[in-house]
This record gives sequence, structure tokens and C-alpha cells, in this order.
Amino acid sequence: MSSSNKQKILIVDDSEMNRSILVDMLEGEYDTLEAEDGLQAIGILQNHSIEISLVLLDIVMPKMDGFGVLEVMQRRHWIETVPVIMISAENRSSRIDQAYEMGITDFISRPFDAQIVHRRVKNTLLLYAKQKDLEALVAEQIYEKQQNSALMVDILSHIVEFRNGESGLHVLHVRTLTELLLRRLVEKTDKYDISKEDIGIMSMASSLHDIGKISIDEKILNKPGKLTNEEFAIMKTHSAIGAQMLESLNVYHGEKVVKMAYDICRWHHERYDGRGYPDGLKGDEIPISAQTVALADVYDALTSKRVYKPAFSHEKAVEMIVNGECGTFNPLLLSCLQDISENIAEEMAPKEFVGPSKAEITDLIQNFSQHRELSASNRTLQLLEHERMKYSFFAAMSKEIQFEYTITPSMVTLNSWGAKWLGVEEIVMDPFHNETILSLLDPRDWQTVFDQLEGTTPERPNVVYECRLSYKGKWRWFRFILQTVWEGEEPAHMTGTIGKAVDIHDMRTNLESLERMASYDGLTDLLNLTSARKQIEARMKAHPDSRYALAFFDLDHFKDANNTYGHAFGNQVLAHVAELLRQNVRGADIAARVGGDEFIIFLEYHQELEAIIRRVYRSISGGDFQGFTVSMSMGVATTEVVEPVFTDLLKAADQALYAVKQSGRGRFQFYDPSLRSLKPTGGSYADQSISPIESQEDGEDTVKKKHN
Amino acid sequence: MTLQELYEVIGGDYQEVRGRLPSDKFIQKFVLKFLDDKSYELLLSSLEQGNGEEAFRAAHTIKGMCQNLGFTTLMASSTELTESLRNGLTPESGPLAEQVKQDYERTVAAIRSFQEGLAT
Repeated sequence: MSSSNKQKILIVDDSEMNRSILVDMLEGEYDTLEAEDGLQAIGILQNHSIEISLVLLDIVMPKMDGFGVLEVMQRRHWIETVPVIMISAENRSSRIDQAYEMGITDFISRPFDAQIVHRRVKNTLLLYAKQKDLEALVAEQIYEKQQNSALMVDILSHIVEFRNGESGLHVLHVRTLTELLLRRLVEKTDKYDISKEDIGIMSMASSLHDIGKISIDEKILNKPGKLTNEEFAIMKTHSAIGAQMLESLNVYHGEKVVKMAYDICRWHHERYDGRGYPDGLKGDEIPISAQTVALADVYDALTSKRVYKPAFSHEKAVEMIVNGECGTFNPLLLSCLQDISENIAEEMAPKEFVGPSKAEITDLIQNFSQHRELSASNRTLQLLEHERMKYSFFAAMSKEIQFEYTITPSMVTLNSWGAKWLGVEEIVMDPFHNETILSLLDPRDWQTVFDQLEGTTPERPNVVYECRLSYKGKWRWFRFILQTVWEGEEPAHMTGTIGKAVDIHDMRTNLESLERMASYDGLTDLLNLTSARKQIEARMKAHPDSRYALAFFDLDHFKDANNTYGHAFGNQVLAHVAELLRQNVRGADIAARVGGDEFIIFLEYHQELEAIIRRVYRSISGGDFQGFTVSMSMGVATTEVVEPVFTDLLKAADQALYAVKQSGRGRFQFYDPSLRSLKPTGGSYADQSISPIESQEDGEDTVKKKHN
Repeated sequence: MTLQELYEVIGGDYQEVRGRLPSDKFIQKFVLKFLDDKSYELLLSSLEQGNGEEAFRAAHTIKGMCQNLGFTTLMASSTELTESLRNGLTPESGPLAEQVKQDYERTVAAIRSFQEGLAT
């Protein structure tokens, strides 16, 4: 953003010369930005719409013409705050009418006349500047009022729990009367510098005049009889304490309303003759706000029933006050009280359950209804702009691609980081006929995304989708978070999609390698038992009717190899066996190291199983590894005999393996129910974190059930 | 050659331009800039490729510049060409383009010699 205070004009024309002429004409008085086609103009408006005071727009341009620009400006409501002067050699009135209908403010025809250009630009800017100032003013007022109310609600809600029913009404009465008195006072004199806005704030602040009372002992506060001197001294501290409480309101420090409430709290028991407390201020040393509240306070005390006195009538109360029976007051205020005497009764009576004063509500409603279109006032826009800047900064830091797609016109707008990274323009018209855009995702992914977006509703507009995105010829994983945008009601229609894409490639590849590390056995690079089990179970679930076999084997005399040649050699033997295993199982088979020297093979078979098992067995067993004879014992369980449940298969294969070991090792055997009473080897799989193998008895039951 | 003489050679309205634009210096700057504009090349190439839409925009741009600079003769022929291209290529486009070529070449040649005169 330039530091210059000059107004910025965006000049949109495809001819460099025409732009230059305009720039030369306007230079000095204004800052200028240039765009050589409609798309560029939209891009600039998108990023600088707050700063741009005026657009000079050509009609005939490549990529997007002037009418296209106007359409987008209308759709995005920019036209409401950024005036457009159309410039063109166009002289057909239908086109000119169309342009006016689309919201242009003025039309300058070629050839340019320097003076005319100047004057039109100046007039348009003036017109809009006035409107903008007005907007800012109203927005400011509304904003302040809202702040006030919110603040008061906040404070009052804190004291509400402390107050008794009596003071609740009292607060409202004092507030109404304060407002009435002040309004009359400013009509009568300009001695006190009180604006209309101040009246609102002061009467609001008056609600807080007695908040110090929450610190006074309830016994004193609600004592029916006369207070002792000592008690009265304590009671008198409430004004100073209330002021102190406000001072310690850190959050609202510096708010005008808090400052005024402080004055009122501290000094609403001062007297005009200097005989009040706590500071003994005299005359106009006492802030006018506090003087007014003091009067309102006394009036309400007189007209209310108290434990120690009946309620006086309005007339009687005014009479007592004016006659000086209840202390001395500013004569000006006394005459105000007399002036408004007739209104008081009627204004005060029905107010008991009304929150903010009626006048205030009316003001607010009027402000809003007169300026409904100002709901997106300058302030709001600036706040939005600020948010947008903040967001795009963080987006750049987090490397996000953000985009917005509108269906009509079919156009996608990317954030500048995203566009740069992808190597596309920030604005792409008709993206789904754009080769570069289409090549970003695999066609199947595009289809899935479209399908999912089509399935959204206004209530459930979100889609999260992870897929690979082409980046400089390489695929990277991205997570797309999309939200469809809807307009209108019953039925709402989709107008586009906003979204972002986050690069999750590194995260995902890390995850994959972690997953791989967790799934594979470090020594042999075979699967470990847990992941083998997952795969086996998935396989059996997917094709429950196939026939499967699980072979469980270990190496004979492996302990001797370890003991004789050392663990390092033992590991080499294991790696060797794993390699043989890998070479001799079929692609679809699953081979895993269970632990120690134990391995499993899981396979699906269609023909005679024994031949397959024999081939695998012979390919591994019987060979020699650096002087160590590789021999193995193997038990095999099939789903023809055992339920297709992983743990059952494993246990049965183990029992078969046990049978082999008992009969002298070095061969394989199939499980059959006659082996069911055999103790499994209780191999290392038993300590692994898969579900525990059932106890012997349970196992028997299972087998029995099956074969009975 | 003075600016005024140049306008006479190329068939332009110097007085009209002088009334619109701030100064002779201003006018001269943009008259010379006319030489750098690529619209004419774009016009020729798009006509050659039969791209009516592009040709229309190029002709339109030339017309706009001529309007701004008060090049009356070239403006007239380029306006006619622009209109004949508004809804795509038409049979008249060919001959009208020939006229624009003639006027453009003459205009550019004159501006060049004006430019040389400035250098010396």
C-alpha cells in the first residue's frame, strides 16, 4: 500500500496508449493503477477494492470485456462502493443504456478531452466521498452505541446478583430522569459542553451510581431504623468505593462511559453548597453528570416507598426539592426539573421493565432502517479487508492454496501464493475448459470431487477430500477442504465453492513410512505378525468362500546356530531364510516373521494343497547356509478343517508343528482334529499383542463343536 | 516539420486535438507513441488467421487511438473496418482492411519523418 493520501484510480483499457493518455491527464492529482484487460482489473479490485476510489473502464477488451467486469463488480457488490466511469468509442445508445443499468456512474466517450476527463473524475469522486463520509459517520455512531450497551450489560450483569429488587427499579428511574434533565439542560443553556451522544452515555452511566453499595454490609444497607453515626460513616464510603471499582475495570479503561460513570459514582453525593461527600466539591467543581444524577437520585428516593418512609407524590417531591428541603442543587437543574415536571410522571411510570430508554431504541432503529444498505459500511469493509490480509498472510505462511469458484461467470480466483505455486493466473475464466487447471488432478479425482460437491446441501456444505495434485510434473498429496456457497431460500441454489488445499505430502509420506516401519520386521523386511494378521483377516473377509492355508514353521536347531556362531550369524540365517521365502511364495501369498526363528505363510489355493506346500518347504529346507544346514519343521492348517478365523488357524498350525517336533523335526504336517489335544508350542506369537490364544479347554470346545 | 504540418500530411484535425489535449508537448508524446503500438500487427495477423474476433478488437483499438489523437483519415477507415468486423469477418472486411493498410502506412511514414526532423 502506498503511503500517499491521493485517491487511487484504476484505469482499465487494452490499449497502452489510451491508458497512458489518461494516466498523464490524471497524474499529479491522483494515483493511478493500470489493467490491460478485464481479468486483470478484477484481480486488482479483488486485492485493493478498499483503496480504489474510481475505475475508468473500457468496453472492448480481450479476455474479459467491460461488461464482464461490471457483472462481476455487481455480483460482488463492489459497484456499490467503487464508482465506475465507462470510457469508450462506443456510441450506440443501447450499449450505453446497458452500461448505466449495470451501475456505471458516468460515461466518457472518446476522443478524450483532458478537461472533461478531469471534471467527470472529480465530480464522481466528490459525490462518492460525501456518501462515504456519511456512511462512516453513521457507522461510527451505531458502533459506539452498540459498544456502550454491550459494556453496560456486562457491568450490570455483574452487579445484578448483588442488588435488591428496590434498587433495580431505582436504577431505571434515575437513568430516565437523568436523561430527561440533561436533554432539557442542553436546550436551556450551552454552558456545559454536552453533545447528544454524551447525554446517552451519561444516562447509561447513571445506572452505575450506586454500585459501590455492593461492598456495604447488608445489615446496614437494609436497616429499617435510623443509621448510627458509625453506620452512616460506613454507608458514605459507597461513592468512593464505586469509583474505585470502575477504576479497576482494566478491560474498559479509557472508555468514555467508564470515565463518566466514575465521575457519577464518586460525586453523586456532593452538594452544590460544598457540604457533600466524599470530597466536599462545590458548585460546578462537581461534574454536571454527577450533579444531575444527584438530583435524580433524591427525586426517586422521595417518590419511592422506603422502609423508613412512605412514598411522596410527584408534586410533593418536586416542591420539597425546590424548597431546599433535601439539600442544595444547581439552580439551573432545579429549573430544568420544574420545566419537565409534567413529563416526568408519564415518562417514569411504564419504564420499570424496559431496558434501554425508548428514545435510544428509536434512534437506533431509525439509523438502521435509513441506512440498511450501510450494514456493509466502510468500517465493516475495512475490518473485512484487514481480516483478509491477515488470513492471506497466514495462508502464505502455511502454504495453502485458497480459491473461490463462482458458477456464473464460471471463474476461479486463487490467492496469490496458490496461483504462483501452481503456475496459473490468479483469475482463471472457465477453469474446466482450461488444460492447466484440468491437468492438476487425475480425471477420476475431479469426478469424485464433483460428485461429492453435487451431494452437498446448504445444511451440509462441506467436503473434505484427499488426493494427489500435479506439481511441476510430480504428484503431491493435498487435502482439499471445500464448502459450497448457497444463495436464496426455498430452494437455495448453489452459486459456487470456496475452499483451500493444504499440502499434506510430507505428512502423508512420513505417515506411510511410519506405517511401513510399524508393519515390517526390521531384520527380514517381511511383514510382522500384527500386520500380517490384518492382511489375512481382510483377505478372508473379502473372499470368505475361498480355501486358505496357514503354514507355521520354525528352523530346526536354530539355537545351536546362535550358540555356536553367535547372534550375528543367527540373524544372517534368518535373513537368508526370509529371502528364500520371498523368492518362493507367490505374489498373492502373505509371508511374515512371527518372531525369533518362527515364520508363517498364508496362501489361497485352488488345486491340491500338498504339492504347493511341498514345493515351498523344499525350496527353503535342506539347503546350506555357510556351513549351517537349514532345516525346518512346519505345521499347516487349512480352512477346510479349521474355521476361517486367524487365531484358530494359527493355533491349529502350531499344534501341527508341535506334532512334527515330537516326531523328530525336519518335515511338514497338516493339522487334523486328532491333534487337537496337543499343546501348541506356545511360540513367540503368544507374547505378541494380538488377541490371546484361547486356553486349552476353550480350544477343545471349539474343535469339538465343529466336528460333532 | 511542425506538429501542425504533420497533421496536414496525414489528414488529421490539429485544431480539434489542440482544444482537447493539454499541450503540444502532450500531443507530440502520444503521436510518437503511436509508432510503438502493436495493434496494427495484431490486426494483420488475425486477419490472416481468419480470427474475426481478435481482428475486431485490434481495429477497435486503432480507431480509439486515432480518435484520441485526431487522426481523422485513419480513424474513418478503421471505424468502417471495425463495424464490418463487429459480428465476425464479412466480405467487406477485405477491401476495408486494404484501405486501413494504406492510411496506416501513410500515417506511420509521416510520423517517422516528423520524428527524424526532431532529432536533427
